[in-house]
Amino acid sequence: MAQFLLRRLLQLVFVLFSITFITFIIGHLAPGDPVLAMMGNRRDPKLYEQLRRQYGLDRPWYEQYAGYLLGVLQGDLGKSYRYAGRPVWDLIRQGVPVSASLGLAALTLSVLLGVPIGVLASVRANGAFDRASMAVMLMLFAVPGFVIAGLLQTLQVILFQSGLPNLPTSGWGKPENWVMPVVVLSAGTMGYLARLTRASMIGVLRQDYIRTAWAKGARARRVYMAHALRNALIPIVTVLGPSVAFVVVGSFVVENVFRVPGIGFVAVQAISTRDYPVIQSVALLLALIVAVMSLITDVLYGVLDPRIRTQ
Amino acid sequence: MKILKLATATLAVTLLAAACGGATPTSVTVVQTSIVKETQVVKETQVVKETQVVQQTVQVQVPVTPVPVPGTQVLRWALEGINEPSTLDPAKAGDSQIVFATSLLFRGLVQLDAQLRIKPDGAESWTVSADTKTYTFKLRKGLKFSDGSDVTSDDVVFAITRSLDPKVGGGNGAYYLSNIKGAADFTSGKSDKLPGVTALDPSTVQIALEQPSAYFLYQLNFITGYILSKKSVTDGGEKWYEKPVGTGPFILKEWQHNQKLVLTPNPYYWAGPPNQLKEVDLVFYGGDQGSVTAFKDYQTSAVDVIGSFGQTPIPSQFLPQVKDLPDFKSAPQFFVRYIGFNNKLKPFDNTMVREAFARGIDKSKLIKLLGDGAARVQDRILPGGIPGSEMKIDTLAFDIDIANKLLTDAKFDKTQKLVLTYGAEGDNAKVVEFIVQQWKTNLGVNVTAEPLELQTFSQKLTDTYNDPAKGLQMYFSVWGADYPDPQNWLSQQLRTDVGNNNGHYSNTDFDGLVDKADVEVKDVTARLKSYNEAEQIAVTEVGWLPLFSPNTNAMVKPYVTGLVFTGQGIIIPDWSAVRAQ
Amino acid sequence: MQRIFRSRVVLISALFLALLIAIAIIGPLVYTVDPATGDVEQLRAFPTLSHPLGTDDSGRDTLARLMTGLRVSLAVAVVVELFNVVVGAGLGVLAGYFGGWIDILVSRIADMLFAFPGLLLAILISAIFGSAVTGFAGGSGRLFLVSFSLALVGWPLMARYTRGQTLSLKERSFIESTRALGAGDGHILLRHILPNLAGLIIVSATLDVASVIVSEATLGLLGLSAQPPQTSLGKMIVEAFSYITLNWTQVLFPGLVLALLVLALSFVGDGLQEYVERG
Repeated sequence: MAQFLLRRLLQLVFVLFSITFITFIIGHLAPGDPVLAMMGNRRDPKLYEQLRRQYGLDRPWYEQYAGYLLGVLQGDLGKSYRYAGRPVWDLIRQGVPVSASLGLAALTLSVLLGVPIGVLASVRANGAFDRASMAVMLMLFAVPGFVIAGLLQTLQVILFQSGLPNLPTSGWGKPENWVMPVVVLSAGTMGYLARLTRASMIGVLRQDYIRTAWAKGARARRVYMAHALRNALIPIVTVLGPSVAFVVVGSFVVENVFRVPGIGFVAVQAISTRDYPVIQSVALLLALIVAVMSLITDVLYGVLDPRIRTQ
Repeated sequence: MKILKLATATLAVTLLAAACGGATPTSVTVVQTSIVKETQVVKETQVVKETQVVQQTVQVQVPVTPVPVPGTQVLRWALEGINEPSTLDPAKAGDSQIVFATSLLFRGLVQLDAQLRIKPDGAESWTVSADTKTYTFKLRKGLKFSDGSDVTSDDVVFAITRSLDPKVGGGNGAYYLSNIKGAADFTSGKSDKLPGVTALDPSTVQIALEQPSAYFLYQLNFITGYILSKKSVTDGGEKWYEKPVGTGPFILKEWQHNQKLVLTPNPYYWAGPPNQLKEVDLVFYGGDQGSVTAFKDYQTSAVDVIGSFGQTPIPSQFLPQVKDLPDFKSAPQFFVRYIGFNNKLKPFDNTMVREAFARGIDKSKLIKLLGDGAARVQDRILPGGIPGSEMKIDTLAFDIDIANKLLTDAKFDKTQKLVLTYGAEGDNAKVVEFIVQQWKTNLGVNVTAEPLELQTFSQKLTDTYNDPAKGLQMYFSVWGADYPDPQNWLSQQLRTDVGNNNGHYSNTDFDGLVDKADVEVKDVTARLKSYNEAEQIAVTEVGWLPLFSPNTNAMVKPYVTGLVFTGQGIIIPDWSAVRAQ
Repeated sequence: MQRIFRSRVVLISALFLALLIAIAIIGPLVYTVDPATGDVEQLRAFPTLSHPLGTDDSGRDTLARLMTGLRVSLAVAVVVELFNVVVGAGLGVLAGYFGGWIDILVSRIADMLFAFPGLLLAILISAIFGSAVTGFAGGSGRLFLVSFSLALVGWPLMARYTRGQTLSLKERSFIESTRALGAGDGHILLRHILPNLAGLIIVSATLDVASVIVSEATLGLLGLSAQPPQTSLGKMIVEAFSYITLNWTQVLFPGLVLALLVLALSFVGDGLQEYVERG
């Protein structure tokens, strides 16, 4: 196990290193220019050169990259271009707790609802509950987040105008601000998880050992929970890793629509203004989360199915 | 960034009797036409600043004895389009939303009034030398910063120098203050001194210019001319602006990152702290969904003012449902959206072809497409309200027959590949797809509409400027006034090889006329006449193909008073007249 | 084959899918209203005789646009899912089955791609290849590019997914016994692992279609997708959503088509899963 962890740690370093490099290269190859983004639609060649010098963008790319890398190794993520010299670390430190807590709430909700619905649906596959719940779950998954968000907001406007109790249409900081973002953010994942659980359960329920369990006279509850679900969880655990990454940054739409001060928003804005230091740091952060999650997933495989050796 | 200006035909004065206790405000609306001739008498010399017909909506607060105002008196103002100010440093801020926020905290020597004329702010008065190249400002007596310390001329010199300082690295100083003596050498690093700005004594500042300029005070009015406390900036370190100290009507109480700025009245504001307001919240609504979310928050009364910035009006799809409400405010603004042609590339190097394309668009249909009240047809370079826009121009009317004849005369090959490029943002796609259809229907020409990601588009425009042979054929673009002067439109857009002339339009007569007008200060009439002749050339030769001028479309809760809509968005001439709920 | 359609729901769904594809291909040839020309006097019109599904924000005929939009969305979905299944599932199975360096390589590349700024990648790809591809294949070239961008960041999920299942499958007793009987890796992979995974691959790929169609629209809003006057289901929904309070039918029609498409796909997917796993 220790050797396994050590090996994975080395791979992690490699992944992080590669992601900074690839992101950097892509950022610099992509058209668009952070200095032009800063200057708006006014052109002044002298000023342009001056700003490029000031942000070190006139240096060759490898020098810029080396400088960035050295900084990161010393724990300095650099300074944002757009936010006038604010340390990238500041932006990340402000956004991550918000995105993470929102994402965690949404993920918890979607697991707590999605998995049981999937299990129940699989018990009577093609039955009425199966058909109905799966259609709903599919819609939750298929309807884009901004549509759900928009409908919920419009509903609040109608409630407000009728003098009924309503939720704030946007904002952050009060408990009631959480409701709509969490609902919207969890809808898609919930639908996905429910359908995945069902598909996976149906596959597992056909396996020999389940038949054996039935034959041995095990009670239904035990068959489903102890034997089937345990194995059916493998694909679900698999997607949970990436899901965490998705909710940290993937909540862009939700953060945008509900004005949630999270990291998703920062990331997308950084791309649209070519704020390289921020883009690179967000990618780095995400890579770290994903890599750690995938490590946890691999360990969990062994727990769920002892036959899978943790190599 | 975009400073705009208004003027035209009527003057509507709303006399607003303030509500005493819970009484309903009574308002009187007076509409009148007037010729405003402003003369400013100064010690050594007399400068006639401008003569023009102006239209304006002015709310004049009838002074009453101060009465406690009911309600929470928190004014909540939506800043759509930003999710977090990049800075509050006047030397660096650029986005118009942040410029607005900055203007509540800091102020300069001069300010704009409701008619967009220059009036004193931090300076009590000023004089202009006989050659119109030296301005001497007398600071207001007892002028204090928001921390209670005295403002001295050193602070002014420090602030203006700082805006131009390449080590500070602000973008706008080098642009707005470029006419200050020695600015070019200072910003390029050739000199480490800025000789043009000097403190004569603790309350007198002198600014020397390179060239006479009729619009210098407008340039000085921009945030790069704001007064900073030298002490607070030098002691505050890199992020000094998180505790801003200025001479504006408000101070920053709290900066809730990615949420809002909370401002409270500045107890040391020279015109008297606007204490009737408890708080002004500037709420950020970033991203492409920002305006939509702001609209919904407005509907649930979570915010009082929306759509106040030119680039982020109320989404046009909501106009039909709000345009008859008393909350809805629509005003012309100094923006023109146009198609630029690459004059160095076939086929648009040919004036006849450009004219044919200009005449091949029915702009009245375009206005219908955008929604009535969202925009006005624009046939010339200057938008209505900019001085000179009241003078006549012969425009190129929509005429399919003339257009097709021009194409035939120019031996235009209708099968060639033509591309109209634009940045994917807002309603650009809608407009461009419409234009392309117009040309197809009216001229029988197939043009491809090519959307590009915003920064890619801006890069392509730069490439077109640097190397027109490899550049875009034509592009859909926009210009908003930095200050209300024709120089900002004609000389800075269409003069040969000037920085914003992406399409490389060039005409020596045009250049000669604007060069002459740019340095003319004393004879306003002659100056505007030169610009008018130049504009006529640019319109006839289609230096731009202007399409429309979008309106500011805002909503303001009826209980909010004291805001004046001008060509450049909302101006608050007197903060003590502002009420919230 | 008949067994797939034993369930009536699956049969109807399959027929509906066939119908959608037929409409996308021959619809514009039959219903010849120009999807690009708008009538400014008829903005956001409700359905009428002259415009059976009403008009959009620019006064263009929604039925005509729906048919061309369907074409674009289906094309993007097919390209992305093909890539997803072939590359994603393929690599995932190989990684799970063989382990070792293949596993490390595939898993770590997948990790990286999850963290990857996909939007930036799409911008880069369309900038570098955009003009070349449009020159070669016209407006559809940009579609191919957007599909490619989506596929490139999309396959890792499928790969992780199939890898996890393969890890578990290969330890099952029936695989072990097959191996004991002397079966080669190729035989085990094709005959035993893949059939057992097929159901999950199909379900996850059909599920994915909806998000691909929506993602295409998001990139389209940034100017990175289909070239006007081409549109897509996703883009129509996004655009119409902004004026839903004025005319809800304009969201309803493309939304309904997308919803039915996704439902039908998922029923057919379920049917296929059952067929593969039983057969």
